[in-house]
Amino acid sequence: MHLIVCLKPVPKPGTVKVDPKTHTLKRESADLILNPPDRYALELALGLKEKYGAKITALMMGPPNAAPLLKEAYALGADQLVLLSDRIFAGSDTLATSYILAQGLQKLSPFDLVLMGKASIDGETAQVGPETAAWLGLPSLTQVKSLVLEQGRWVARRVFERIEEEVEFRAPAVLTVEPEGELWPPSLKRWLASREIKEKVFSAEDLGCNPELCGLSGSPTQVLEVFSPTYEGEREVLSGPPEEVVDRLVSLLQERGLLKGG
Amino acid sequence: MGFWIYGERTEEGFHPVVLELVGVAQKIWPQPEEITVVTLGAEGARPVAEALRAYGVRVLWLHHPELSYFRDDLYAAVLAEKVRAFKPEVFLFGATSQGQALAPRLAGLLRLGLTAHCTALELKDDRLIQIRPSFGENVMAKIVSRTRPQMATVRPGVFPKAQPASVEGELIEEKLEFLPPSALKRRAVFSRPSKESPLSGARIVVAGGRGLLTKENFQKLFELAEILGGAVGATRPVCHMGWISEDHMIGVSGETVAPKLYIGFGISGALQHTVGIEGAEVVVAVNTDPEAPLMKRADIAVVGDATQILPRLIRRLREVKEGDHGT
Repeated sequence: MHLIVCLKPVPKPGTVKVDPKTHTLKRESADLILNPPDRYALELALGLKEKYGAKITALMMGPPNAAPLLKEAYALGADQLVLLSDRIFAGSDTLATSYILAQGLQKLSPFDLVLMGKASIDGETAQVGPETAAWLGLPSLTQVKSLVLEQGRWVARRVFERIEEEVEFRAPAVLTVEPEGELWPPSLKRWLASREIKEKVFSAEDLGCNPELCGLSGSPTQVLEVFSPTYEGEREVLSGPPEEVVDRLVSLLQERGLLKGG
Repeated sequence: MGFWIYGERTEEGFHPVVLELVGVAQKIWPQPEEITVVTLGAEGARPVAEALRAYGVRVLWLHHPELSYFRDDLYAAVLAEKVRAFKPEVFLFGATSQGQALAPRLAGLLRLGLTAHCTALELKDDRLIQIRPSFGENVMAKIVSRTRPQMATVRPGVFPKAQPASVEGELIEEKLEFLPPSALKRRAVFSRPSKESPLSGARIVVAGGRGLLTKENFQKLFELAEILGGAVGATRPVCHMGWISEDHMIGVSGETVAPKLYIGFGISGALQHTVGIEGAEVVVAVNTDPEAPLMKRADIAVVGDATQILPRLIRRLREVKEGDHGT
């Protein structure tokens, strides 16, 4: 069984810089962390590895400085580390990103399941999973919280707002994972071993990518401009010693009739 | 067939976001007769499809027994074929679980641009300007798409619902003969253990962010909420730190609230959070930094340490309340 977990390097909140020209993220300048929801995809894969036996590939698209994050995946239990990295990938929107991931997945094929986090904490689109599946012509399921194998068929428990469903399908498929449940810390032994592990790096050429479909040229969505929302209207500013400020706040709220019926 | 809206059905009819999308379409699209809700289902879903006509929109109802429940691959394939045939200019989806599973699959099949979680839409020279909070930075982004249809998902609860119209829209019914195969088979469905957000419908929301410094401080919000008869909200970072469950998260990836009073303690006001409180009538912010975005946006900005203000506010409100009982 071959499971591929896609991991996204995301800027550590508060360290992001935006390119003033293209309005895309300058990932090179930010401190990068593993996208926290992706940990749940890896956790699900690790559970399947324990239960059924599997090889886990951690797949990441990102700049070269994201490579150390893959070692974290190794420490957690991934077996093989792959980085898709090329200058022409920069500025990709979700369609271009999913194209590049699909090319990477084809390179790593055959596989049983591709697992991704539900969404990233920077873009928060939740789009790359189903888009990647579409490029590959594979079934997709989102917000999967558990998986079991029954006589060669997978059964996923999948979450919507008001219902959960049990869906049956055959591998290969692309799934996004609902962030819930326990996360286990990496083992010290694997942490130490991860230093010696080298990731494979594939460039656009290695993957046979069509440059037209990568980066800005492969991205149908474009940011026209960014702006800060402004709010007009009266603003009351209260400052001073806490006791006083609280008294004034309470009277203001009373005046406006906001404390009735408590 | 200019402006398409995906008609997501639930057990109780259309998802409320469908009427919100109709509302925004009727506001920005110059040819109201071109606004079309596309819905898929089995024969039995006819009354649901019929009901939408009252809002003056055209309903394109595609039915086949195999479409009785949502299947990502099948629904996307059926819609892809219809988009190729009718070439709409715009195709909007609610940013629901189903919408977020379906829209990107369709966009991937047709190689289209897709903008997620829009909070505002404008039309300029035939281009749909898709507005959403950007990159976790404190800015909004205006996004356009080079491809047609221009696709976007829209947050539920952002736009007002369409009102019934004086003239009924037409119903275009198509019984599909051939369906592409689906790799997915639903075996069972369970109702979800009541996931009603603790925030939905709250008239007063007291929310906390990292400025509260500790989980213990954050817990005091529950006391305040009880005194005020309100609900407790949170920013994403404090949910991730485990101070409170994600059901209480307000913002892009959480709930949208529209209370009469919102008080934010130690919340700087990242757009990721503040898009969720657009509908609040009175916003109070408590922060040491008077320049924090939420402080600038607030109706009442309290300059002070949230960890100091919160317990004092609780005490003061208790006094007020006891005073009231005395009179």
